[in-house]
Amino acid sequence: MVPTMFSSKMRTLALAAIAVAVLGGDFVAPSQASAQEVQITGPLAGQPAVRRMRLYRQFRVLLEPNFTFTLQDEYSRTLFAGLHAGFYFTDWLGIGVWGAYGVANLDTNLTDEITGKGVTDDRSRRSFPTAGGFPDQIATMTWGAAAQIEFIPLRGKLSIFEKLFVDTDFLIFAGVGVMGIEERDGDAVNACSDGDTACFIASQSARASRVALGPTFGAGFNMYFNNFIGLSLSWRGMPFSWNTSGFDNSGSDDGDFADGQIDESDRFFKLNHMFHVGIMFYLPTDPAVTD
Amino acid sequence: MKQSITTFWVALMAMLAMPLGASAQMDFSLDEAETEGEAGAEAEGGADMSFGEGEAEGEAGAEGEGDVGGGDFGDGDIIGELASGDDGMGGEMEQRERPTETVEEVFAVQQIYALRLNRLELAPSAAFTINDPFVSHPAVSVALNYWFTNVLALGVNFLWYQWGDPTSRESDLNFFVRRATRLGIPITEWQLGAHLNFTYVPFYGKFSVFREFIFQYDAYVVGGVGMMRTRPVPVIDPEFRSFDFQTRVAFNLGIGLRVFLSRFAGIFFEFRDYAYLERFESLDVAPTSVDRQDEGSWYSDSTTFTNNMTVQVGFTLFFPFTFEYKLPK
Repeated sequence: MVPTMFSSKMRTLALAAIAVAVLGGDFVAPSQASAQEVQITGPLAGQPAVRRMRLYRQFRVLLEPNFTFTLQDEYSRTLFAGLHAGFYFTDWLGIGVWGAYGVANLDTNLTDEITGKGVTDDRSRRSFPTAGGFPDQIATMTWGAAAQIEFIPLRGKLSIFEKLFVDTDFLIFAGVGVMGIEERDGDAVNACSDGDTACFIASQSARASRVALGPTFGAGFNMYFNNFIGLSLSWRGMPFSWNTSGFDNSGSDDGDFADGQIDESDRFFKLNHMFHVGIMFYLPTDPAVTD
Repeated sequence: MKQSITTFWVALMAMLAMPLGASAQMDFSLDEAETEGEAGAEAEGGADMSFGEGEAEGEAGAEGEGDVGGGDFGDGDIIGELASGDDGMGGEMEQRERPTETVEEVFAVQQIYALRLNRLELAPSAAFTINDPFVSHPAVSVALNYWFTNVLALGVNFLWYQWGDPTSRESDLNFFVRRATRLGIPITEWQLGAHLNFTYVPFYGKFSVFREFIFQYDAYVVGGVGMMRTRPVPVIDPEFRSFDFQTRVAFNLGIGLRVFLSRFAGIFFEFRDYAYLERFESLDVAPTSVDRQDEGSWYSDSTTFTNNMTVQVGFTLFFPFTFEYKLPK
């Protein structure tokens, strides 16, 4: 006979005694209280929760070429090619940088619809000089960079069809990001006088570049194929203000109406979503292994 | 079990008798398997006390030399130690770590943490559409699945979209596009969705949090067929047009991640695409008032394949709460 469990009554009493003892100890001798330790007997006595665990990140450098695409875009989505690099002080904490260059911009269906069916008139000509030229006035991302702290709270493994087993971890990060963006040049538009159609049309493709600064944060899931190569999937949010359409959206003192100027008052604060897919390479190639 | 009773009373006495400044470690040994038959009735000083079932399990009376919960009271004579006033109850109780013990065995194949087989899963959640920049469609949702194997379930899910203030769900983007380009963007309002689904779990795993806490999780694929009730929101000719909800056949496919917090409860994160043929408001407006009242002209001539990409986050509960493994360890 191997009794291994308390009866429920006994368990209740024991828990009550524990609670009383802990509370009593706290109130009576708070200055000398010390923590309890639950020691396991048998083969697992004194053993860590995880043995022989590969520390994929600890004191290693990560180089991750990645491909990034933006999500939930209004007028244009951007495809980036970039690199994520990191150094990890422990297996669960490190610092990283990400940099990427926009290699392509794809118009959304809304842009196509506006290009094909949009109607312009004298009242809207400042915002929308021509329908056919609309793709030239929308804002695009050209490059991005971020410095971030990376936190890896979860480390585990994954069974695929009970045949293939891969090590995994879950990452969250936060930091500061910058995004190079190209918008319709407000100065070119504002130089046009009312009724000067030719000037407005010429201003439609005038571009101005600037750098938007904002926080960045995100989360990712990583799978390790061997000691130093893995697959990374992650989402990044980077909120900042920009005028995605090139319209004269607001700025009037009378309320949120067009003010005849295209400037910073026409920018809207927007959470910009990105998704990264990358191949991770860790150096040195051999990870440390716990006892 | 008597060993536990002994431990309990010793712990309680020690706590009650603890002088100011004392901080002896309480001992709640569960090391009954190893000391079975050795727990002495004599050592308990109250061996005739019974706390009900399980008492007989510790009936073997030994001489009390068993290591009661870590055995830090010298030779195991706990009562003697307590009575002496030096170690257990004295004014200068020694600060010592006296860890408690539990029994752990290692098996060649560990049992799956949470069996799904023959259990009913109830999963309430919140749903958010992520691919519609013109209008949001938040929903409250509930799913009910029956797991007829450990990796395959048949179930239904229901989403209710028509709550809150529908007028607040339209994006400002529509207004700015309308004002600048004179284009109306046809949008729709959803009432509900109901779907019959299969769920398959090809992936499972576990996560260690700081190498201390271990969570079991699985990843699943879900898909099925059902219906959605939607209607256009009149934006092209709202003066004359109004629409009733109509039923659309919808197919869905998605993936999800379920993290078990216990053997019957967890949280899940799901990404699912509900695809259906939507009929939007017609962009054409008849030239006369009489023709504008013709309901046949209110809808667009063709349907549009629509992907409702949804993120759902919620809780999952398995019934019954407990289960028995078919095979022993």
